[in-house]
Amino acid sequence: MVVPRGRGGSGGGFRGGRGGDRGGRGGGGRGFGGGRGSDFKPRGGGRGRGRGRGGRDGGRGGMKGGSKVVVEPHRHDGIFIAKGKEDALVTRNLVPGEAVYNEKRVSVQNEDGTKVEYRIWNPFRSKLAAAVLGGVDNIWIKPGSKVLYLGAASGTTVSHVSDIVGPTGVVYAVEFSHRSGRDLVNMAKKRTNVIPIIEDARHPAKYRMLVGMVDVIFSDVAQPDQARILALNASYYLKAGGNFVISIKANCIDSTVPAETVFMSEVNKLKADQFKPSEQVTLEPFERDHACVVGGYRMPKKKKDA
Amino acid sequence: MSSLRNAVPRPAHKERPQPSSRKKFGVLEKHKDYVERAKAFHTKQETLRKLREKAANRNEDEFYFKMIKSKTVGGVHRPVNEDNKYTQEELILMKTQDMGYVLQVLQSEKKKVESLSATLHSTGNKPANSHVYFAEDREEAKELKLEHSKRENPSASGDVPASIKRKTERSYKELEARKARVSQLEKIYMDMALTKELQKNGRKRKLRPDEIVNPTNRPVYKWRAERKR
Repeated sequence: MVVPRGRGGSGGGFRGGRGGDRGGRGGGGRGFGGGRGSDFKPRGGGRGRGRGRGGRDGGRGGMKGGSKVVVEPHRHDGIFIAKGKEDALVTRNLVPGEAVYNEKRVSVQNEDGTKVEYRIWNPFRSKLAAAVLGGVDNIWIKPGSKVLYLGAASGTTVSHVSDIVGPTGVVYAVEFSHRSGRDLVNMAKKRTNVIPIIEDARHPAKYRMLVGMVDVIFSDVAQPDQARILALNASYYLKAGGNFVISIKANCIDSTVPAETVFMSEVNKLKADQFKPSEQVTLEPFERDHACVVGGYRMPKKKKDA
Repeated sequence: MSSLRNAVPRPAHKERPQPSSRKKFGVLEKHKDYVERAKAFHTKQETLRKLREKAANRNEDEFYFKMIKSKTVGGVHRPVNEDNKYTQEELILMKTQDMGYVLQVLQSEKKKVESLSATLHSTGNKPANSHVYFAEDREEAKELKLEHSKRENPSASGDVPASIKRKTERSYKELEARKARVSQLEKIYMDMALTKELQKNGRKRKLRPDEIVNPTNRPVYKWRAERKR
């Protein structure tokens, strides 16, 4: 009566078989297809099919028991928002199946059945993520861009930047400390678009053989002279009309004056070095007394017409 | 065959309800309800009978330790009080263990808050930070202002299914609950630490409200400086 179909159907068949066994013990001796056995078979089969539809088979159907998480694109290119049990900023994992710093991953199935994995971007560990959540207008880092990343540390944020720029972009990650540089190099082994550089960012000439012209410089060096470091690197590698993103930790520059004053003085230093800051966001719920300044470098002069 | 029989509609069997005139007695008791009630009644009767029998057969000359370890106050048995069951050292040790437990729970709770907040970024809400735009002149500033006012809220997530919305909400609720729990546990731990410190030797006194530098509604103690060799 019921043709076993898929998982549920086979379960039904098993039940039917058991019924038949009982029929046999009753004395009929007819075995599988015995009087009571045949009585049980359709009923068991029906029940089994019902279970199959509600449960594991549902993933293919789409609507019923579908995906547990929805991923939608963020305002910035290459960044996504995952909604489900988590409500988080994510980037599309360049190396599916692997986490860099034990972050959570979510995978989503497309309509055509292919799986896409995303990694959750923790804003408590990444200032760039905090700035994005802080509503910064433009981070300039997008699929295909070339990024010079100063102060890469263990490469947690670098891995997400490499996710964003994708296989067509490049991330040059500069870190001075050998200890955290080791993690960075290990991360870069898996990601072909990351070029780790274990050098002092104060001497950009030392890595001139590795780095070409870049579109964006991201700087998270937390040094008192970070504006100078950024200016040095920009003069070597940042194209005219390129952009910079710098994260400023007020305590690292001057812990005696209020944070706002420090941010202001840093912005003024940047202005003196041919940078044109366009906006500044504080990283409030995630970091205390931090700000992210975004802007352009050697921007073309505006034409005074009209 | 049986499936054919199933197809034929059968008259529905209806249970007799309580007549409306006897509605005040509640639902109509059925035989199985009566059996349950009667069984309970008989077990109670049996217990009472056994107790009565025991009391009747009591030996007046027999000694029981309960005679000296407890007494009746107004007809109610009270055990003798066990105030000094534990020594001072034992009590201090137990308190230390309590503190250790509270600290452990506090730390595990903090970890959970950390991992939850790592995945919950309230992407739908407007950020509560400051956002400054830099302009070269007044005209550009005006432009920026106009642009900024035109822009709408980034939360354009209308097509998220309700089940997923519910899940997210549940996670946020859990995060809030855990945060509240952490603050409670912190308070408890501080209280315990304070009582423990106060039990130790050393001269100290409670500060008057006007002596406290950082205003707080909690008691503040000051220990006398002691020269250590």
